[in-house]
Amino acid sequence: MEAPPVTMMPYLLQRSVLDHSLESLIHRLRGPCDNVEPETFLDHEMVFLLKGQQASPFVLRAPCSMDRAGSPWHVRSLGQSEMRNKNCHALVQNCVDIATSENFTDFLMEMGFHMDYEFVAKGHLFRNGIMEIVVYKIYCILVPGNTDNTEAQSFSYLEELSVVAPPGLDMVSDAMRNFAEQLKPLVQLQKLDPKRLL
Amino acid sequence: MGVTCVSQMPVAEGKSVQQTVEILTRKLEMLGAEKQGTFSVDCETYHTAASTLGSQGQAGKLMYVMHNSEYPLSCFALFENGPCLIADTNFDVLMVKLKGFFQSAKASKIETRGTRYQYCDFLVKVGTVTMGPSARGISVEVEYCPCVVASDCWSLLLEFLQSFLGSHTPGAPAVFGNRHDAVYGPADTMVQYMELFNKIRKQQQVPVAGIR
Repeated sequence: MEAPPVTMMPYLLQRSVLDHSLESLIHRLRGPCDNVEPETFLDHEMVFLLKGQQASPFVLRAPCSMDRAGSPWHVRSLGQSEMRNKNCHALVQNCVDIATSENFTDFLMEMGFHMDYEFVAKGHLFRNGIMEIVVYKIYCILVPGNTDNTEAQSFSYLEELSVVAPPGLDMVSDAMRNFAEQLKPLVQLQKLDPKRLL
Repeated sequence: MGVTCVSQMPVAEGKSVQQTVEILTRKLEMLGAEKQGTFSVDCETYHTAASTLGSQGQAGKLMYVMHNSEYPLSCFALFENGPCLIADTNFDVLMVKLKGFFQSAKASKIETRGTRYQYCDFLVKVGTVTMGPSARGISVEVEYCPCVVASDCWSLLLEFLQSFLGSHTPGAPAVFGNRHDAVYGPADTMVQYMELFNKIRKQQQVPVAGIR
């Protein structure tokens, strides 16, 4: 069977804010975002690796909601990010999202994947039309598999502005940049090259 | 999905695969079953690439990726005697990305295609199993739609199977196993198809004279 083509990609702008600026940021976001209460979320995300003789292992991310019973498992494969397009103000990353049944972790182990690391993400989700803005804190899991025993990884919250759209649409990144301008100087959302962070 | 039994119908003596399928479908129509479109189930086999084996330190495994026209937005991936994963069709895209780690076994695709019949609360699908251009056998799937617990309806299902399969009626599927009281699901049907396809792969090809 032919694999269906992937036609939609996430555009991404990211930055972080210190803990003491969180309330101001949430207050600022309520203005331009949709006039509904922001959703809160609590996710447990696991990152799996499959190693071969290739230069880099294959990575799969599996976030799972901890506060919404019955939510489907969701697995994501992130591919190459497009940084060379100077006209695009956002990071565009090749991404495949797969909804799966609950036994995905057992199945991945059977395929030969092993879990590299896991963490808990807790935060808020805002929407502005098709834009999604998440502000969340990452918590390290102190005992593997025990999501009740966590510790904040840093004194800051990560903010991500994302839009899922077909690739090559500069107007999408322009709209994202215009939205990000409204949040300055509280936070300066940027196009971050993930390779430079490693 | 109701409790389902998938079995193989042997090709009738002196007849071709197509002729046997026609005999079976005529019996169903005489019983009063109504045609309701077509169906297909396909299966692609992947094995762990040699480059991945060394790092895992384990023997290569076969992974089956299957599709069922009853669930057009879903993809089923399973290991023999292992877990069965149900995912959306982006799983096929993932397999393309994983081609350096999992390779499709040569000429491994096997599928069954045929007609769906509804007879009261039963759904019957009679299909021709093919590998490439050659017909390799006949699959018969019978679903008793109102019931999802095998132990509650196996006797009724068996009686219905006997009414048109006669002496070729199969025994209780292995997937029922010790799980007679568990809720039956689509994954159980796909496991049955995987076992059927593996059995047909191992069988000798149907004689050329028998293929129309």
